[in-house]
Amino acid sequence: MAETRVLLKHAEDPQLRTLAGYKRHGGYQTLEKAYREMEAEEILKELEDSGLRGRGGAGFSMGKKASFLPRGEMAKYLCCNADESEPGAFKDRELMQRNPHQLIEGIAIAAIAADAGHAFIFIRGEYDAQADILDAAVAEAYEAGYLGEDILGSRRDLELVVHRGAGAYICGEETALLDALEGKRGNPRLKPPFPAVQGLYGGPTLINNVETLSNVPRIVAHGAEWFRGYGTEQSPGTKVVSVSGCVRRPGNYEVELGVPTRELIYDLAGGPLDGREVKAFYPGGSSSPVLTAEDLDLPYTFEDMAEAGSMLGSGSIVVADDSVSIPLMALRTARFYHHESCGKCTPCREGTNWTVKMLERVVRGEATPMDLDIISSVQDNIMGHCLCVLGDSMAMPVSAMVKKFRGEFEAVIDSAQAVAA
Amino acid sequence: MSREVTILIDGREVAATEGEMLHDAAKRGDVEIPVFCYEPKLGDPVGACRMCLVEIEGIPKLQTSCSTPVRDGMVVHTRTDQVKHAQSAVVEFLLVNHPLDCPVCDKGGECPLQDISIGWGPGKSRMIDEKRHFEKPIELSPLVAIDRERCILCYRCVRFSQEVSEDSQLQLLERGDRTFVGTFDDRPYVDPFHGNITDLCPVGALTSYTYRFRARPWDVEQAGSVCTLCPSQCNLSFTVRDEQVKRAIARDNPDVDDGWLCDRGRYGFEMFAAEQRVTAPRLRGGQVSWDEAIAAAAAALRAGGAEAAAIVGDASNEEGYLVQRILREALGSPHIDSRVSTGPGRDTTLRLAQPELSAKVREIDDADAILLIGTDPLHSSPILDLRIRKAMRRNGAKLAVATERPTTLDGGAAAVTRYAPGEAGAFLLELAAGLATSGTPSSRFASEEGVPEVAEVLQSAESVVVIWGERIGREGEVSIDALLDVTEALNLADKEGSGLLEIPDLANARGLREAGCLPDAGPGLTRFTLSPPQGLNVKGVGKPTEEMRAALESGELKTLVLFGVDPLRDFPDTAAWDRALTAADNLIVFSTFETATTAKADVVFPLETHAEKDGTVTHPDGRLQRVRPSAGRPGDIRPNWGVLAELAQALGHDTGIDSQPSAFAALTEAVPFYAGISDSEIAGRGVRWQDRDAASSLPAPDAPSTQGDVGTSPERFAREEQEARGDSPTPPQRRVASEGEVPTAPTGAGAPLKLGTYRDLWAGPITELNPPLRFLQPQQRVELSPADAERLELKAGDTVQVAQNGSSVHAKVIIRERLSEGVCFLIEGTAEANANALLNGAPVSVEIQKVES
Repeated sequence: MAETRVLLKHAEDPQLRTLAGYKRHGGYQTLEKAYREMEAEEILKELEDSGLRGRGGAGFSMGKKASFLPRGEMAKYLCCNADESEPGAFKDRELMQRNPHQLIEGIAIAAIAADAGHAFIFIRGEYDAQADILDAAVAEAYEAGYLGEDILGSRRDLELVVHRGAGAYICGEETALLDALEGKRGNPRLKPPFPAVQGLYGGPTLINNVETLSNVPRIVAHGAEWFRGYGTEQSPGTKVVSVSGCVRRPGNYEVELGVPTRELIYDLAGGPLDGREVKAFYPGGSSSPVLTAEDLDLPYTFEDMAEAGSMLGSGSIVVADDSVSIPLMALRTARFYHHESCGKCTPCREGTNWTVKMLERVVRGEATPMDLDIISSVQDNIMGHCLCVLGDSMAMPVSAMVKKFRGEFEAVIDSAQAVAA
Repeated sequence: MSREVTILIDGREVAATEGEMLHDAAKRGDVEIPVFCYEPKLGDPVGACRMCLVEIEGIPKLQTSCSTPVRDGMVVHTRTDQVKHAQSAVVEFLLVNHPLDCPVCDKGGECPLQDISIGWGPGKSRMIDEKRHFEKPIELSPLVAIDRERCILCYRCVRFSQEVSEDSQLQLLERGDRTFVGTFDDRPYVDPFHGNITDLCPVGALTSYTYRFRARPWDVEQAGSVCTLCPSQCNLSFTVRDEQVKRAIARDNPDVDDGWLCDRGRYGFEMFAAEQRVTAPRLRGGQVSWDEAIAAAAAALRAGGAEAAAIVGDASNEEGYLVQRILREALGSPHIDSRVSTGPGRDTTLRLAQPELSAKVREIDDADAILLIGTDPLHSSPILDLRIRKAMRRNGAKLAVATERPTTLDGGAAAVTRYAPGEAGAFLLELAAGLATSGTPSSRFASEEGVPEVAEVLQSAESVVVIWGERIGREGEVSIDALLDVTEALNLADKEGSGLLEIPDLANARGLREAGCLPDAGPGLTRFTLSPPQGLNVKGVGKPTEEMRAALESGELKTLVLFGVDPLRDFPDTAAWDRALTAADNLIVFSTFETATTAKADVVFPLETHAEKDGTVTHPDGRLQRVRPSAGRPGDIRPNWGVLAELAQALGHDTGIDSQPSAFAALTEAVPFYAGISDSEIAGRGVRWQDRDAASSLPAPDAPSTQGDVGTSPERFAREEQEARGDSPTPPQRRVASEGEVPTAPTGAGAPLKLGTYRDLWAGPITELNPPLRFLQPQQRVELSPADAERLELKAGDTVQVAQNGSSVHAKVIIRERLSEGVCFLIEGTAEANANALLNGAPVSVEIQKVES
C-alpha cells in the first residue's frame, strides 16, 4: 500500500519551507485568488461543502464551525491550535516543519471566511525548531504582502502572531488555549459560550488545528468536489496519521481516510517485530479507548472508529504488541493525564490522582480484584462529569483497558500475591 | 427586559426569569441543589466543582445548574439515580484529598463540605491511599491562616481577589491535584477586603486568626447589626460567645454592602474590650456613680445655659435627636453641629436631600457613568470601592475621577483629573459651565486638562451617579452650589437611576443632620427663624463647628458637649481646638475610648459600640438601618438614650422618652419624612425614607434668591457664592496642579508646596486598639511628586519636617509618580505627627525640610 500525499506533497523538498520554494510548487496562488476575487461566503461554502472535519481530535465540521461566527463589526479572531501534545501525535510538527507556508496560506484564507483581522498560532512550547521555522515563514509572508495591512489591495488586514505555549497539555483544549493566549493561567472555560460566539478577548473566535487549516488552500483551489474525491462520505479527504509504538517504521503517513487500519500499521509502518503480534492499539492518540487485534480490519475513518467504541481523534495510532503489559500501559497513560490535569474541576483533578494511586498498587501487587471494580467505577464517575474532555481522556482508555484486559490485570495481582505468600 | 418563564423541577412548577441560572431558580422553588464554587456575588459562574450536576430533558449529558440559564418549559430532574450518582461521585472525589480533620477544624458545624457530604455524599470513602500533604496551617496574611490540605480548590477566594477586590494577589499555583492557593513568592496577602475570603471559603481552609479555636457554632449566637465605623454602614453579624464579640461576618444586603465587609469592619471588634475603653462615668477627680456624674453634667450645662454647645459624631439618630433636644429645649442654646469642619447651610442641605436627586447604592451597579468627586472610597467608604469596580467590570460603567490625590480607582477610569487641594469647587464650576454650553467638549474648555474628558464621560451617559465627598464643602458653600449646578446641567433629577451619593466624614452624618444636629436646622431639617417653633425657647441660628471653636476660645461659649467626637485627633487645626477645649468652663465628653479629648474633660460618659447599642442610623443614601444590641456592655456602661433622657430630666426637662422604642418613636414623630417608620419596616435590611410616601414631607428648599435670609448660610458663603455666580464671562480661575503650565507652581528650592490631607483607611484608634490590626497602623509620610522631590533634594525614606506657620510634623518621604507637581499629601488622624495639626480651615502651603536623623 502506498501513501496518498496531498498535504505532504513535495515534503521531501527542503526548500519547501521557504517562500520561494513554496511558490515554486504553486504556493500562495490560492491566497491571491481568494484575496483578489473571492467573498467570505464563497470560501465558507466551499469549506462546508467539502465536509472537512477537524483534525485536532473532535472531528467537527470545519466549515460549520466557521459559519457559527456572528457577522458584524466586532473584532474577530482566528487561532491555529498547534499545541500538539497528545501522546502519539506528531503530525502537526511535521506539517509545520516541512510546509509552514501551507499553514500560513490556510490561515490567511480561513481568516477571510471568519472575517478575522487577527490570527494566532499557539504552538506547543517544546516545538522550538518548528516555531523558529514558522517565525521565519511568517516574516517572509509579511514581506511578500500576504500578511499585514491591505493584503494584495483587498482592503483586508491580517495580523499573524506565533505564540509559544509554556508546556501545558491542557492548553491544547481550545478554551484553555484562549486563556493562555490572553496571558492567564491556561484553564478551560465553561462552554457555552462557545469560542465562535465569545472567544479570545471576548470576541468571536475560530479555532482550528494545524492540519485542518493546512487543508484549506487546496480545498479552495480545487473545490469541495475534488476534496470529496478522497476518503469516505463521512470522512472525506486525506489524513496524516502518526503511527508509533511497537512498529518497525514509526512515522507520519498520509492516507485517504477509509484505508484498512491493518494496512496503516502493517504495510506503511511495518508492523511489530518478528514473532510479535498486535495486542492493542490506540487508534486516535492516548485518549482514545484502546482497540484490539480484532479491530485491525476496520476502515480508518471517524465513523468506524466511533462505532467500535473508540475514536479517530487526532489520527495517532500507538501500537502495543504482546510484549507490552497492559496494566503498565494503563498506569503510564493515567500518569500522563494526572500530570496534565489543570485541577480546575473536581472529577478530573481527584479522579486522575486516585486512579494513578490505584494502578500503582495494582502494578506493585498491593491490590485486590475489588480494586479493579473501583478503578472502573471511578472512570465511570469521571466520564461526562468534567468541565472539559481531559478527564474523559484518561477515563476512556483506562476503562477500556480494564474491561478488555481484565484477565491480565488479575494475573498481575495474583502473581504478586503469589510471590508475597 | 427579561421574561418571566415557568420551568419544571422535580415535577414542580417553578416561576423563573429567563436567563437566570437554574440553580437560583431552583432555590426560589425550594429545591436545593448543592454547590461549592457557585457564588453569584463573585460574578460569572466557573462550573469548577461539578457538585450541582442535574439532568435536563433533551440534553444527554448532565449539566451544571450554576451555569445553565433557564429557558421556558425546561424540565429538570435533581433527584434521579443518574443525578444522585453523579453528585455522590463528586463528593467522594472532593474527599479524596480532604483530611477529614473535622474534630480539630474551626469550620466544623458550619461547614458546607460537611453538610453536603452528609446530604449528598456516599457516606463512606473507597479511597485507602495516602492523601496529599501540605504544611498546615500557615500564614496567608497576618490575619488569615490557610490550611491547604483542607482546600477543595473551589476558586472562590481566588475569584474574590481577582474579580471583586481586583488585587490579583491570590493565585492558584501548580496544577492538577498539586494545585494550591497562594501568592507570588509567598508574600503576605495584604488587601483591605481580604477577610471576605474567610466568609467565602466553604471548608476550613481559610480561617481568621482572630477566631481560630475561639468557639464552636453551638457555643455562639449570631447577632445581626450594622457597622458604624464608616458611612458605608455595612450589614454584619456578630458572633457572640459569653456576651463577647468573637467574630464579625458579612450579612448580605445588596442595597448596602453587596455582601462584603472591609477588614476594618471585620476585624475592628477586639477594641470593644480594649483597656482604653471608658467603662464608667467619671469626673475630673475619678470614677463616680451615675447619679453623681449626671448631676455634675447637669450643673455644668445649667451653668452654660444658652452659651452651651454640642458637637455630635459617632451617634445613632436617637442619640443625636436627644442631644439637640437637651441643647435647644432644656438649655435654650442653638449651638449644635454634627460636622468636623465647615459645611453648607440648611438650604443647600435641603437641595442636596431632594429625593429625585438622591442615588441609591444599588444604582451604582447599573449606572452608565459614575463621577467620583472629592473622595477616595477606599479610604472613606471602602465598600463603595468594590461597588464601583463591580459596575465597571460587569456592566461596563464609565468612571470619571476628579480628586486632589490619586485614587485606587484611577486605573480603570475612563477619565481622571486632578485639581489642587481645596479647588474642587473651582473644578465643579468649570465642569458645570462646560456641560451647560453646547458644542464639542474640546471647544468649550480653554485650557484645563481633564475637564473635557470628564464632561464627555458624563454627557454620553443615560444614567449618572455622582459620588461626592462631604469635604468639598469645607471650601465653602460655593463648591456645593457648583456640584448642584453640575447635577442641573446633567439633568440628574429627571434621569432614571441617576443622582447624588454623598460620602460624608462621619458614619451617621446624614441621620444626625436629619435628626436636627445642625446649627440652622431642627429635626426634619426644619427651619429655625427668629420666632422658634412652639416648645422651643431657642433664639436664632446656632454656630457651626468651627465658629463654636472660636467662640469657646473667646469665651463667648462656656460649656461644650462632645458626643462621640475627638476634636484633638479628628478635627482640623489641633492647636486651636486644644486652646478651645482648655478655655471652655466645662467640657462634657461622651466617648467610647479614652482619648486626648477625654483627658481634658470635666465629665466623661461611656458610650456603647455598634455591637452594644440599640438605635437607628441613616445611610448616606437615606436608608434607615437598625443597630441592634448584640453583646454585653462592659463595666458600668448604660444605654446612651437613657443617659441622655436622664440628663434632660436632671435639667428639669421631661423628654417623655423612657425606652429605645419611645426614643425612636419620638424621632419619627419629629422628622416628618420619617413619619410612621416602624421597627418592623426597617427589619433586617432597612428602608429608604425616600421610597416612602412620607418623603413628600421633606421641606422644599428656598429659591436661590432668598440667600440673604437669616443666617441660613454664614455671610462668607454668601459672598463667595455671589462672586462665583457673578456675571463675569470667564469661569473662575483654577489653580491647576497638573502637568505643563502651572501658573502658581512653586519655583526655587525653598518654595512651599500646597498641602492636601486625607483620612487614611487605617489612620485612627482602630489600628491602635485592635491588636490584630496593629501591623496596619500608618506612620506619617509625606507624598511628593518626583519633580518636587528632586527640587528639594529628597529621596524616598528621608525624614522631613513639614511646617506651616509655626506648626510642624515629621514624616517620611514617599515619591509618587502620579502626583502633580506643587502639591504634597499627609495623613489625618495618625497617632503621631497628625496632619490636622497643620490645617487651619484655609488651603495651606507647607515648607519641607530634611531632618538629619
